[in-house]
Amino acid sequence: MNSRISYDVIGFALFAGVILFGVPAILGYDAFELSTFSRYLSLAIVSMALALSWGTAGLLNLGQAATFGMGSYAMAMHLKLKASGESLPDFMGWNNVDTLPWLWVPFQSLTFTLLAGFLIPAGVGGLIAVFMFRARIAGVFVAIITLAFLVAFQLLVINQQGFTGGQNGLTGLAPLEIFGWVVDIYSVSFYYLVSACLLVALTLGLYLTHSKFGLVLRAIREDPERTRYFGYNVASYETLIFCISAALAGWAGMLYALVLEFASPTYMSVSFSLAIVIWCAVGGRESVLAAAIGAILVNLAEGRLSDVFVEGWHLILGVMFLLVVMFMPRGIYGLIVDAGRALKRQGSRAETVEYNPPDALLSQNRES
Amino acid sequence: MSQLQVKDLQVQFGGLRAVDGMNFDVEKGEIMCLLGPNGAGKSTTLDLICGKTQPTGGSILFQGTEISRMLEFKRARLGIGRKFQVPSVYKDLTVVENLSVARSARPSVLHSLTSRAVRRSARVKEILDIVGLVNKQDEAAGNLSHGETQWLEIAMLIAQDSRLILMDEPTAGMTIQETDRTAKIFRKLSANHTLIVVEHDMSFVRTVADRIIVMNQGKKLAEGSIQEIEANEAVKTAYLGH
Repeated sequence: MNSRISYDVIGFALFAGVILFGVPAILGYDAFELSTFSRYLSLAIVSMALALSWGTAGLLNLGQAATFGMGSYAMAMHLKLKASGESLPDFMGWNNVDTLPWLWVPFQSLTFTLLAGFLIPAGVGGLIAVFMFRARIAGVFVAIITLAFLVAFQLLVINQQGFTGGQNGLTGLAPLEIFGWVVDIYSVSFYYLVSACLLVALTLGLYLTHSKFGLVLRAIREDPERTRYFGYNVASYETLIFCISAALAGWAGMLYALVLEFASPTYMSVSFSLAIVIWCAVGGRESVLAAAIGAILVNLAEGRLSDVFVEGWHLILGVMFLLVVMFMPRGIYGLIVDAGRALKRQGSRAETVEYNPPDALLSQNRES
Repeated sequence: MSQLQVKDLQVQFGGLRAVDGMNFDVEKGEIMCLLGPNGAGKSTTLDLICGKTQPTGGSILFQGTEISRMLEFKRARLGIGRKFQVPSVYKDLTVVENLSVARSARPSVLHSLTSRAVRRSARVKEILDIVGLVNKQDEAAGNLSHGETQWLEIAMLIAQDSRLILMDEPTAGMTIQETDRTAKIFRKLSANHTLIVVEHDMSFVRTVADRIIVMNQGKKLAEGSIQEIEANEAVKTAYLGH
């Protein structure tokens, strides 16, 4: 068993313990506080999704908010239709739309909605990824293209007012109903639903990073050219992780729309997308668990500090990001790993290992 | 049939014909050395075979398959491995992780998704033994010394187990002892692998080469054993400029 795996398993178990038992106990099972915390947990999912593509494969996706938004709109469309009953959603009437647009029709089905929340983001992400990675676009250009896509997509959503509710987004949603259970967001069970989603997403992320798939992605991050000469189809590896990351972001978006009870184009804004990058960087992009914790910590701080510094909060966030980039480029995770390594080195300094020349081979070589 | 057949291979960069009508065959299990002055087109020839550069004409047959238009990862899957001039190990990965990436007999996404990142199989242990890196197996490759990095790269080539290995200046920056050791490893490798080596170190070439091709200005100048090459007047002229 690799030591990296065992550390991650321990870290995951601790994290799960804190989320499932610690947090509800500290918050005194207060439904309102827990609902705020489940908002952080849903954001943790989108942060760990970014860690998968950025931290593992080195693909900085600045359009993560677009796929997040798709998930939230998918959920909101279903709930809006439910709230409107037999009639058209109210905003359509205001925009002279008289029949339900074809795009909306399938969202009457819950099953379709839940699938669409994953599959549409994954499909869109995959489409962009196929074009980018087959053309061997890498590094900062990935960031630029995904950012451009995000801006274009947000504009599209705002401009198609009759279909999307425009700047106002989708408000006045009905509560979600799954298997007869009406989801009340101010309830302990809703908190556990979101926690379970986060833990499942993290399990998937940890599995991926510890599989050979994750190893090849790390190799690609370091040297895509070299990796090709080992026979790996770099484009298909990159495309798949991009799809998975987009699907998880969509999943997070669905939960987020539930928590906030509306969907808005601000979920697809550049500043939101950059905030995801900050969470991920603060926690440590090399570990999905650290990225999730980073999202929770920064949002907790935001929740507390923005009460005190209403205007200055974004400045504080910016300074925080600068400090992280300058002094701990690998985030909190990097600090912990370096500290652990330093401790280990001190312990084993006495028994230094000498380099052995490869005599094993020389004794059996074929002279000619 | 020869393992590799190169016919009328050429590539043009702007007005320059870097490789201009090369013809040669390489037999299975042979060590073929490419010599020539700077800019003769040796590295470019390797680039054309492994797919880093697209030819503008001619053909390359590997085990009877035309590969000159194939993407590089497909050529690697057929069994062509490449060592570059600059040491290119993955510095952030540990030694065993480097070997695991190099062991790429099954490079598909699906297989990678269903296997563990590092499998310490008997074969991995054996390779680590060969290059003497057993004690460093969990060290990040970036922390290795220059010599150890070279051995790791050779270990990765052994792990990759390509039928045809293309080497660009494998002994650059090595001490005399390390060069000797590398020569011995190459002789051992040639039992199961075919090697094409670009090298400047003549004593190394003398030890390992079964056959030598001398290139000049993108063309084949001479071909033969080391004795034939050393006696060749055209080669002397190209090198010494008389």
